Amino acid sequence: MVRICIILSVFLVTAIFGMADMEIRSQNIQAKRNYGEWHVGIRDVSDEEAELLSLRPKVAACTRYDTLNYRLSMDYEIAGKKAVIAGFDESALDIFSAVEFLEGAFPQEGEALVGKDMQKRLNLKIGDTVILGCPDGREREYRVSGIIEQLPMLAEKDVYGISMNIEDFRKLSLEGAQDNHDSLVYLQFSPWCNIRKEIRLIRESFGFSEEQMGGNEVLLATIGQSSDLSMLAIYGIAFLLAVLVAVAGILMITSSLSSNIAQRTEFFGLLRCIGASREQVACFVKRQALYWCRTAIPAGVLTGTVVVWILCAVLRFLSPTYFADMPGLGISWIGLICGSLLGIVTVLVSSASPARKASGVSPLTAVSGNAWDRAPVRKAVSARLRRVETALGFHHALGNRRNFILMTCSFAFSIILFLGFTVTIDFMHYAVKPLSPQAPDISIVSPDNTCSLPGYLAERIGELRDVKRVYGRRFAYDVPIETGAGQESAYLISYERHQFAWAQDSLIEGSLQDTEEGGGVLAVYRPEEASAAPGNAAGLKTGDVIRADIGGTQCQLAVTGILSECPFNTDSGQRILICSEDTFIRLTGEEGYTIIDLQMTRDAAKDAAEEIRELAGEDVVFSDKRLRNAEVRGAVYSFALFVYGFLGVIALISAVNIMNSIAMSVSARLREYGAMQAVGMDSGQLLLMIAAEAAAYGLWGILLGCGIGIPLNRFIYEQMVTLRWGTSWDFPALPLGIIILVMVVSLLAAVCGPARRIREMSVVDVIADR
Amino acid sequence: MEILKVLGLNKVYGKEENQVNALRDVNFTMEKGEFAAVVGESGSGKSTLLNCIGGLDLPTAGKVFLDGEDLYALDEKKRTIFRRRNIGFIFQAFHLIGELSVEQNIIFPLLLDRQKPDKEKLEELMEVLGIADRRKHLPGQLSGGQMQRVAIGRALIMRPMMILADEPTGNLDSRNSRDVMDLLVRAARHYQQTILMITHNMNLTSDADRVLRVTDGVLKDLGGKRHEKLS
Repeated sequence: MVRICIILSVFLVTAIFGMADMEIRSQNIQAKRNYGEWHVGIRDVSDEEAELLSLRPKVAACTRYDTLNYRLSMDYEIAGKKAVIAGFDESALDIFSAVEFLEGAFPQEGEALVGKDMQKRLNLKIGDTVILGCPDGREREYRVSGIIEQLPMLAEKDVYGISMNIEDFRKLSLEGAQDNHDSLVYLQFSPWCNIRKEIRLIRESFGFSEEQMGGNEVLLATIGQSSDLSMLAIYGIAFLLAVLVAVAGILMITSSLSSNIAQRTEFFGLLRCIGASREQVACFVKRQALYWCRTAIPAGVLTGTVVVWILCAVLRFLSPTYFADMPGLGISWIGLICGSLLGIVTVLVSSASPARKASGVSPLTAVSGNAWDRAPVRKAVSARLRRVETALGFHHALGNRRNFILMTCSFAFSIILFLGFTVTIDFMHYAVKPLSPQAPDISIVSPDNTCSLPGYLAERIGELRDVKRVYGRRFAYDVPIETGAGQESAYLISYERHQFAWAQDSLIEGSLQDTEEGGGVLAVYRPEEASAAPGNAAGLKTGDVIRADIGGTQCQLAVTGILSECPFNTDSGQRILICSEDTFIRLTGEEGYTIIDLQMTRDAAKDAAEEIRELAGEDVVFSDKRLRNAEVRGAVYSFALFVYGFLGVIALISAVNIMNSIAMSVSARLREYGAMQAVGMDSGQLLLMIAAEAAAYGLWGILLGCGIGIPLNRFIYEQMVTLRWGTSWDFPALPLGIIILVMVVSLLAAVCGPARRIREMSVVDVIADR
Repeated sequence: MEILKVLGLNKVYGKEENQVNALRDVNFTMEKGEFAAVVGESGSGKSTLLNCIGGLDLPTAGKVFLDGEDLYALDEKKRTIFRRRNIGFIFQAFHLIGELSVEQNIIFPLLLDRQKPDKEKLEELMEVLGIADRRKHLPGQLSGGQMQRVAIGRALIMRPMMILADEPTGNLDSRNSRDVMDLLVRAARHYQQTILMITHNMNLTSDADRVLRVTDGVLKDLGGKRHEKLS
């Protein structure tokens, strides 16, 4: 058992540090890919200053990088679509790994790089000409010098982008848009450089202001050079978690070592009897614990590494795009070193108390046969109502108050933490839209936000092999309505069957069926109007009637239900009303869609989006959200993995604690059990007695855990979810069921070990007088 | 009436060069109500014999019949229940359950057997044992002699046909030893029970009808008031 505890502690520490290491490596790669490999960016730097900066010994790379129309607020256009323009030095290609060169060469004068998507759509090849329309009406021509990988931002916004050398860019930006471009110099420092110090020195030498300089904080954080408080908080949490595991590990090993010592009290008495000093006995125990480390630490480190590999594989499977760069079978030296070191330190600290205990064993115990004597019993078992073995089991649990309180609290603590933490999962599901089932991979939007997308388009797209689901919506904006609260304006949106099915989870009150069948509309909860009762949509409730003026026609709409949320926001707090497609067509006469959303199959072909784009035509806004969704999902999965992993660690530690305590209790009573068997207690009754003891801890722990955990869960839920989305708190049956199941399984496991030991023990040996 | 029959009992511990023959071809019988004492040197095999007869230790070979029932033909669970109902154990170290009161310790086998104790019989037994005034006490609050009385009470409560006592006076002073022996003989006579007792104390063999000696695992009947009933 001691070996298992050491393995478990080392495994946990190795896995935590290993996973953190892998996460940091992955974040590092992601940061390099998303933001570039620069460490600091400086605005408004002259070319002379840039030259001087590049000559500094600790600067590994320096590039000028400017963008124009990044916010799409200006009318730069290519082939009728808005365009983003970037200009940079050739050295930028080393710093910005996202600008992945597919073919061609860096643009010279009058040349530009284009994205893969743009190249395909405009059927461009190297040497062709692209025409850039400027806001002042002039047009500029650029020869295509190379093709680069598509950027997620361009795909999502459905815009084109071209990149050119910095001289051409400056000519372009000087032609009337001087104030609308972002001009920066990016610096990359050499490895092992004290970046914060170097940034300070640069600021002081060049007289740059704080506002002029900005760090690539995510990248700096992954190499431990960030001063960003949020990043430091993440490190703080990781450190706290490691400390918690170390403390839990110390308690776990101490407990099992004590159990081991308790079983060999007589042996230590004998050692003292034959002349071993107290120090020698203490040394013996410590050395023995260290001897166990010889096999336990490599086993723990190996298990931890394998688990890290599995977790990395799981993350890569869940979010292949985001975690593509996560090392597959990487070795985390930090994990290995921390696991091994902490293992040895934990064992040394843990063995101190048991060593003291063992050295305190009197030599008399070996000769008097009193090694098994326990603390005197103060009160007899009450066996009036229960079976005697059950009563004895409960008495064993309740007899030692200190142990009982510790065990009960340990159980309760696990339940409280579990119930508290699970709310973050609910919060995550509400807060992160790409996680919701209705999150689209691709959206086809009417360019003028009218119902201009033909209905047959949705049908045709739905017939494609790589498309899993298509669902369209019609929008009527700024519909004047009159509610009990007075005159308002609303968005009227149509839902089809998929969206109604997804809305079921958000239904606070009323029924979806009536709306789906054309009997009325659904109103969406607005937190800013939250009244005393959560879930009440401030004036609008099921059964209310709204008077609306749609296209000059007056009509009455009955509210048949309230939704806690919907996937859309309004511009200025207008009310959102949802109706069926038939109702929408009847009220507005519009049969086309405003938005057609679609979800792709998991194994969709890479060029499937192109096929859909061709079907949709060029006169739509085609928003490919897959890359962006994958990024968000990836972040959420790592968060979820962290939360669930932490919950798992809590459960695992309590399980081991329970097993140790039961094992210790059984060891202390082994002789008594032998006597009970001799006078006729069968092994089933004996097992029941141990199970009753374990159940006593479990029962009180669960009661205490539920007593505190459920109100805590409700409080956190109402603060994090109800206040924002109006969804009222539900009894957390599933998480509670899971944690109780874990507890019950731990209890069964805790009983199984001693039960096997008792089955194998010889009554004669146990009761034999020594 | 023959109550115990031991046939060709052998018990071997260890293997090859470490092999120890604790019992070698032991054969004997006991009549109902008979009181036999087993004597022998330390390590001669006395306790092994008692444990094998009581179903606590599995013999290597041989059979033990108790009231005609082949003890080792029963599975472990049935043997435990048989032992609970038909054999009473008295140990040198008492082996009382610390969390149970005197009364609860005595009725413990009844409780395990899901039987309700007969209050009158329990009262009578405690009176005979002289511990009626200590019924609510815990074992930790009793003297050695009182603890052994409770252990005898526990052995007698099921009215077993056989009582096996392993040095019942080993932890007691001479006065308490005498009292316990008197009590054992009196109770056994009263309830018509067969007693097999291990002892080192040759003075105590005077109470026995028969004396058996075990030497290096071999049982020898030293004789006595053979076939004479205790009643």
